[in-house]
Amino acid sequence: MEMDKQKAERILQAGRDRGADFVEVFEEETRNASVTFKDRKVESATAGTDYGIGLRLLFGGEVLYAHTSSDSEEHLIRLIDSLAVTRGGWAAGGATGLPSLHLSGTVLQNRHVITDDPRRIGQDRKLELLRAADAAGRAYSDKITQVNARAADMVTQVLIANSEGLWVNDTRTRCRFSVSVTAEDKGEIFVATESPGAMRGFEFFTALDVAALAKTAAERAVLMLKAGYVKGGKMPVIMGSGFGGVIFHEACGHLLETDAVRRKATPFAGKVGEAIAHSAVTAVDDGTIENSWGSINIDDEGLPVQKTVLIEKGILKAYMSDKVGERETGAPRTGSGRRESYQYAPVARMRNTYIAAGDSDLETMLATVEEGLYARKMGGGSVNPATGEFNFAVEEGWLIRHGKVTEPVRGATLIGKGPEILPRISMVGKDLEIAAGMCGASSGHVPVTVGQPTIKVDGILVGGR
Amino acid sequence: MSAESMKPEEALAFLCDETRKIGADAFDALAGESESLGLELFEGKVKSTEISHSRGLGVRLFRGKRPGYAFTERFTADAILQTVRDAWSHTRLTDEVNITLPQAQTLPAIDLKSLDPALEKVSMEEMKVFCLELEAQVKPLDERIDNIPYLGAGRSSGRTWIRNSLGVDYSARGASISAGVGVTAAQGEQKKMGAFNRGGRHFGFDASEIARRAVERAVELLGAEPLPSGNYPIVFSNRVAPQLFGMFSSPFFADAVQKGQSRLAGKIGQRIAPAFFQLSSQPHLPEWPGSHLFDSEGVATRPLPIVENGVLLTYLYNLESAAKEGVAPTGTGSRGYSGKAGTGFANYVIPQGSSRLEDLLAAYPRCFYVVKLEGGSGCSSVSGEISIGAQGFLVEGGQKVRPVDRVTLSGNFFEFLQGIEAFSDSWSDSFSSVKVPDTLVKTMTVSG
Repeated sequence: MEMDKQKAERILQAGRDRGADFVEVFEEETRNASVTFKDRKVESATAGTDYGIGLRLLFGGEVLYAHTSSDSEEHLIRLIDSLAVTRGGWAAGGATGLPSLHLSGTVLQNRHVITDDPRRIGQDRKLELLRAADAAGRAYSDKITQVNARAADMVTQVLIANSEGLWVNDTRTRCRFSVSVTAEDKGEIFVATESPGAMRGFEFFTALDVAALAKTAAERAVLMLKAGYVKGGKMPVIMGSGFGGVIFHEACGHLLETDAVRRKATPFAGKVGEAIAHSAVTAVDDGTIENSWGSINIDDEGLPVQKTVLIEKGILKAYMSDKVGERETGAPRTGSGRRESYQYAPVARMRNTYIAAGDSDLETMLATVEEGLYARKMGGGSVNPATGEFNFAVEEGWLIRHGKVTEPVRGATLIGKGPEILPRISMVGKDLEIAAGMCGASSGHVPVTVGQPTIKVDGILVGGR
Repeated sequence: MSAESMKPEEALAFLCDETRKIGADAFDALAGESESLGLELFEGKVKSTEISHSRGLGVRLFRGKRPGYAFTERFTADAILQTVRDAWSHTRLTDEVNITLPQAQTLPAIDLKSLDPALEKVSMEEMKVFCLELEAQVKPLDERIDNIPYLGAGRSSGRTWIRNSLGVDYSARGASISAGVGVTAAQGEQKKMGAFNRGGRHFGFDASEIARRAVERAVELLGAEPLPSGNYPIVFSNRVAPQLFGMFSSPFFADAVQKGQSRLAGKIGQRIAPAFFQLSSQPHLPEWPGSHLFDSEGVATRPLPIVENGVLLTYLYNLESAAKEGVAPTGTGSRGYSGKAGTGFANYVIPQGSSRLEDLLAAYPRCFYVVKLEGGSGCSSVSGEISIGAQGFLVEGGQKVRPVDRVTLSGNFFEFLQGIEAFSDSWSDSFSSVKVPDTLVKTMTVSG
């Protein structure tokens, strides 16, 4: 990292001199390294360095943001000038007479212990894992025609300094392993993927049972080859634990981010203290879970991470908020300011978001369903916060008939509106699990987990044939 | 570091020299640099302003036939040396691939008109004035418009370079600008969003047109209700047909075919769609966003018919997939500086047909006219499965009867291709590299 305190102070001061009431410097250097295995070959090995600086000036709730890969002080101050000029009314050389700025260093203990820095361990150690996944996937069935596996690590160092005197460094180390298995039979092809990740060092790979992951994916790909179709329509759906939490992420999570609240683009604006979900639902966005993929130590505004209860027994308790969100909506900051990289201004985003464990179980839920869908494994989804219209995909489904899980059915899209669906989550299981994913929104793609125990939704539209 | 940071061309030359010095048998290297300006408005005020300068440099080198990749966004001598060493060390890990890098050649003398010098002078102030006018135009259009959550404009310009060990040394420049608005309309408990974005190579947009079309898209869906489940003839508007076809690009890539990820494997020379179906990759259309004279592996581009008269003629190849089959690459390699080479269409073009949209809508006594698709996670380019949320209109006797939402469409893309009955005579006028006219398909399953 190239920034020192004196340089940061001069840059921050330049922003203050141009009238900003808050100025921030975000410097980032990320080292990425990955190896990809496909078609029984090590297809590629790559490594690289992302580097850049983001400058943010706030004038009340107005955000001015610039980013560059250059760390030249002259260039950075010129960027601040360019930003200030866009507001008009500022003449170069103006000084505010504000007292000079002194950054005080904060040393933070990283709550996520990393034991094996992947930068010190060669990429070659990934090869045996990739080969093991390939072998296990192919061994499952002669219908398996392809295995694609990837092991990737990323070490991000950030420095955040701001005009409130903050000077803080943080290192985020993440590893992810992904295996996709393709099965083919009589012209039908299915792919199933498993892709766990963690905020951990190389010890994540060492502890991972890659053969079991590949087998799980292979099982699902082969199963789907012989799966039929669900007859579409509105029906009760029981959603499996773990990645099933994508329903809450899309149907509710995005609608509780202050970026949506400040645009008045969420049906949940102004609803704190009101019942928005069934009383069985308590939902949390928790960035503190040790070593979890979606966890952070400090957010990208430098605030220590928190555990935020969003909904308690159906009552809306809080939004996920960042600095601008707090200024614009009054919702207190929750350590949720996040961005993909220096190329984005931070906004409030989810971290590890889950529906908390309840007291039900799969058997009890099944007993209440005459005909419906058991969505054991979910795929991705999306939402339009302004209308609350969301969708997500089921990767592995099973028909429920007379309270019993019967035959497998192919993936289908489920759609609905957040405010309509939350009151219909009527039963919540004990088996809470969380699963890794990537979430894309206005500040880029950030690692998150989604999670839930097995839940029952009384009625939702299932796409089918 | 700052004093030693190089300019992109200088950094690229240094990287190439060092790659030769380390002993690479062959290599190619990409550099990119871009600048952008943009702003967002909300309720009459600028809410955010963004200025960016980005750059990056990546190398693919070979020790014998083993490739190694690495990249950097730092343009210092140390960082570039580290990049070359990383790529070199990666050649110890990878398996051999057969790639023949292209020789330097004279590129076609076509002006793609991708850079309007005037565009680089458009100021933030001009874009702000435009956005204010756009916002002012929206609300008077319809009293049901209750919010304008998304409103902004931005422009970007960039330059890319590619060099290889056989003398390829090309560069290209481009710039584009866009402005758009997303509005919500409310009626009772129902809210609908309509968005319209105008993009292009020149700044001269009509704010009233953008406002009108966004508002139309929001209010036209108010009062929407589901359709009864069943099979319906479907007309995909030219707004959404590109989205649907675009999701199923990869089955046309040789790389996917060779690796068992395409249901078009073994279909060359076979009819995969009706006789009036044509599909091509068009790299030389002036001002189009997907146009380029060379691909990102340094192969000169050319117009490439993919499907003619319903018959699959060829897949799209990059260097690696072409070498594997012993055919010439098709100029459709696709790669950013930080990634491995993939494959991609330049501009994905299905030509306009002869029917009017009205004819398509009147082809059956009743059909579902789709103007919005929601999500895409239920669609798989490998299996061809389509399961996706849709909004639009129930049409009877060629007339819109009522708006429709809360339904899903199901089918399989490869059966869908065979079931296409007509294309209209018009593409959407968006600044997009995928152009597909309004599309009538015989039947798909609607769940509502």
